[in-house]
Amino acid sequence: MTRAETAEATRRGRHTKPSSPGVARAWRQPNERGATLGTGHLGLGASVLCVVQAFYGLALFAAHWDSYPRTLPVVGAWALYLATIAVAIIILSTLGDRLPLWIYGVFLLLLAGVVVLDFVAIWPLGDIGGYATASVSAGFGLLLVVTLRAGHELIAAASTLALAFCTAIALTTPLTPSTLPTQLSTVALAVLPSVLGVMVLRGFRRMVQVELDRVLVQSTVSAPRFAVGMLASEELARLDLDAEELLDAVATGRTPLPLSPEDASVAATLATELRLHLIEGRRETWLYHAVTESELLGKAVSLTDRGSLAGLLDPTQRDGLLSGVWLIVSDSVKSKAPRTVQLTLGPRPQTSERLAGNRIAVPITITTTNLPRNRVDPAIWDSIGKIGRYRDSTHNGSLRLDITCLVDNPADR
Amino acid sequence: MELIAKERDRLLHRTARALGLTGSVLSLVGVVIPGVVPAPVVGLTLPLYLVLIGSQMMVGRSTSRRWVAVGLVSGLAALVILAVQAPTADAAAAMVPLAAAGLASLSLAVSPTLAWLALFSALAITSTTLVQRASASDDWISPPALAVLIGWILTALAGYWLAASVPRASRRIYSIGKAHRAERQASETEAQRRQSARLLHDTVLATLTLLAHSGVGVAPAALQQQASDDARLLRQLRLGATPTPQSSGSYNLEPVEETVLGTTLESVKQRFGRIGLEVTWHGTGQVLLPSDVLDAFLLALAECLENVRRHSGVTQADVTITDDATTVRAMVTDSGIGFDFAGIDEDKLGFKESVVARLREVGGNARLFSSQGSGTTVVLEVPK
Repeated sequence: MTRAETAEATRRGRHTKPSSPGVARAWRQPNERGATLGTGHLGLGASVLCVVQAFYGLALFAAHWDSYPRTLPVVGAWALYLATIAVAIIILSTLGDRLPLWIYGVFLLLLAGVVVLDFVAIWPLGDIGGYATASVSAGFGLLLVVTLRAGHELIAAASTLALAFCTAIALTTPLTPSTLPTQLSTVALAVLPSVLGVMVLRGFRRMVQVELDRVLVQSTVSAPRFAVGMLASEELARLDLDAEELLDAVATGRTPLPLSPEDASVAATLATELRLHLIEGRRETWLYHAVTESELLGKAVSLTDRGSLAGLLDPTQRDGLLSGVWLIVSDSVKSKAPRTVQLTLGPRPQTSERLAGNRIAVPITITTTNLPRNRVDPAIWDSIGKIGRYRDSTHNGSLRLDITCLVDNPADR
Repeated sequence: MELIAKERDRLLHRTARALGLTGSVLSLVGVVIPGVVPAPVVGLTLPLYLVLIGSQMMVGRSTSRRWVAVGLVSGLAALVILAVQAPTADAAAAMVPLAAAGLASLSLAVSPTLAWLALFSALAITSTTLVQRASASDDWISPPALAVLIGWILTALAGYWLAASVPRASRRIYSIGKAHRAERQASETEAQRRQSARLLHDTVLATLTLLAHSGVGVAPAALQQQASDDARLLRQLRLGATPTPQSSGSYNLEPVEETVLGTTLESVKQRFGRIGLEVTWHGTGQVLLPSDVLDAFLLALAECLENVRRHSGVTQADVTITDDATTVRAMVTDSGIGFDFAGIDEDKLGFKESVVARLREVGGNARLFSSQGSGTTVVLEVPK
């Protein structure tokens, strides 16, 4: 796609599904940053849990001391486990937020050693679930790296641990009413920390990214009536530079006159794009930029605003509209049927009725999908109330809002 | 802050659901294994387990405290029944997941007010005592009871830590947001600076248009000179200066409050002379105009002449400048092929954008008269 086509596609897409490569780029950077945002503190918490559980394991180990036929392997298991988590905590605190694969591999091998030693010690007892100590703690040990490695890697490690437990139980432990509940609890205790840890972390990351997305888009609320997007100046600077290079080449004679058809077409393309940017550049409202720049809204919201009426809204109304739409969309992220929002501003009613203070009415219609009236978050009503008087109804089983928004007449400004 | 708190609560509730359901189901499986607990006791506790599981599912979906209360009451009742009716070590083992995860998980779903803290501390002690009693152990604390206690401690710790991580993250998010707002403003300002360098861009556009036609019909030396001037101006713009050259190819770019029309008109004339359109000027030679009005006027005029050059099929045009007390008026006439209004798309980028919009911005106007075969006349007006 040539640049002219891209620009054209961007222009055509204005009132439908907004998309442009620049927007994706603008979004991706903060997104990457957001992935580790705040997880450092969370990782520290996971380490604390791991240490507390290790104390519990040691207490259990002490309680079972007299039962072990051979104490050497289990002492070895605990020594190895404590050394591993101590070293791991030191290394991880100096490493920052990246853990090379080989360190992860070594860490897993050490934990596997712990499990093997513990199993060797309790094998003759015939009750893995009842006597396992260091091997259960090894499951908690995985929490140390929960913020540093991908979720599926941890799940894989935890599954292997569960498999080891099940195999050992099947080989040694007679399953009777008096042993079965303990076996189940022990396996669950070994696996649960990693699974829950991965789940919580995923939720946490999503929360941070959604919030980051919202905060970044929130800055459009204070934008002027017509605004350029985040990348408009960059784009314009690039066009200027291209033009400069072309003109320079002509001036110095590097590009001979008359121009070849290819060079001429480059000049034509540049002129077209530059014209578009200079003349059309400021036709978009803050709302358009908010929707296109946000990953969350971009996917779910389609905006129709032929008269660029969104630009007339004051900051409070904008905030209400943005957070209202935000709440509708973000509430549904987990459900299978994603909510979508169709946002229509205008057309302005053709009435001669004079409104107080010479204000004009902008009708805003919000139609949604997959949002039943009784599932509406109360906070949504608060936000919508900030925009103006509204009437809610149900359309195809989903919420529909008709809002009358009073704004200052731009002619008076 | 308000929205992220909502998200945080949702995360805590979902975590509570996952942990709680795991504990309850594990415990239920332990209880229903034949021989662990006498059948009548199973019958008694089964409904309580089901209520607990149901309320735990609701806790994941709704933020209402009601489900937490329902879960706590049903879970505690099941524990009491088991401890009293089936005080065996096997039953104690089955009770551990219920107390350590099923009940403890509900503490994640409430905000840590003093009252809730007291209630959950009491519950932790009660459930530990119940399991200790069921296990009928002589020890000070039996392993199952210790497991329950540690379950409560770990859950509380995890909940506290998770909740404490959110404000830290949100503080950083807001500082990023602040930086982003500054960036947006800078981007806006920069775009404005470049866009407001309109004069410059217009001469660049004119030159590019000539180049797009391969420079045919223009003396190479003149075009090279023009390209060199424009490249220099673009470089200045790029380096951060708002260009202040004396003239660019044809326009006077000096930023003065008021500029004499005559001198700049001469340069417009030269410019079009260079590219093969002979312009005859009539009327006022000296009119003072504010610089933004002058810019708009000249740009509109140049655009009209460019249209004559490109579309009319003749190489001569007349420009008549008149002024009265309030208005300066230019009339651009040619005797070319003219055109029919019906054939012109209203929105077509061109006349409307480059001429009318520009003049309207400074309070002026443009009118177009033409018909097929009888030439075109454009009247441009700007206020003095």
